[in-house]
Amino acid sequence: MSPGRTAIVEGWPVFVTAVVVGIAFGVTARQSGLGIVETSATSIIVFAGASQFVMVDLLRAGAPAPLIVFTVLLLNARHFLMAAAIRPFLASASRLRRLGLAYILTDEAFAMGVGWFRRGHRDLAYYTVFGAVMWCSWNAGTLLGAIFGAGVEDPQRYGIDFAITAVFVAIVVLGVRHRADAVVALLAVIVAAALRLFGASAVAVVVAGALAPLVTFALRERSE
Amino acid sequence: MTFWAVVVASGIATYLTRSLPLAVSLRGTAPAALRRYLDALPIAIIAALAGAGIAVPDAQPTGGAEIGAALVALAVAAWRRNLLFAVIAGVVAVAALRAVGL
Repeated sequence: MSPGRTAIVEGWPVFVTAVVVGIAFGVTARQSGLGIVETSATSIIVFAGASQFVMVDLLRAGAPAPLIVFTVLLLNARHFLMAAAIRPFLASASRLRRLGLAYILTDEAFAMGVGWFRRGHRDLAYYTVFGAVMWCSWNAGTLLGAIFGAGVEDPQRYGIDFAITAVFVAIVVLGVRHRADAVVALLAVIVAAALRLFGASAVAVVVAGALAPLVTFALRERSE
Repeated sequence: MTFWAVVVASGIATYLTRSLPLAVSLRGTAPAALRRYLDALPIAIIAALAGAGIAVPDAQPTGGAEIGAALVALAVAAWRRNLLFAVIAGVVAVAALRAVGL
């Protein structure tokens, strides 16, 4: 099977989730007073799930514009880490292509792409196709939600909302190559969970992700 | 209008976070310590995303269903070495655990 087709076969639970959450965003945005055009434009221009919900919420609350933009920046700071981490795998692409691939860099595309590269593949087709279908799913969901609004059943009842977390868990399990990886992963899970539980949601992933790899230096010193 | 200013500025801010590390061209080899850090970074970020999603799935701290379902997904991933099976197992497990009130 070609890398692109593999991306679609492996990614469909994530795409379904993106459509469902996209619908939820469309509905939420409309209920917050945005029109169909504004709602869809948000998903196309910003294209970052969680921060779009926060953005719409702050807009409705009448928060000052600089504060809204700063909050979005803080929430998406984790993408900076992801771009740095995925950089070596995209070494073969031209700068223009890398700048295009940056636009579709979501949590999901990062996780699936790294999962693919860690299995020893070097092609960009898997990441590109996954990211593009992800973009279509999110924007199709947004448009559906914006047009049809109410009457969406609670996705939590079917556990669909958990699909993306299960993807993250599975990619970590499949990507762990040695003991140090497992220690880093466990530390990141604990720190991120603790930060979320104590209310630092906006920075939980970026802080846990940036700190946990430092433990590898301690591990190496002890083994020498 | 404020809305469009906010959306465009948010879009630019988001794109900058994604593109800055990819915009620079690397020359020579990075120091060993940096390579070691970057090598461990992907797993750390994905694990952090998992931890955040398990602890607070939807504005509320987990009642335990997400922890149980994460362990199911972990076990299936380790057993079958298959992403899709693990995700389906996790989704079914979380729906079942929520249905019994966790």
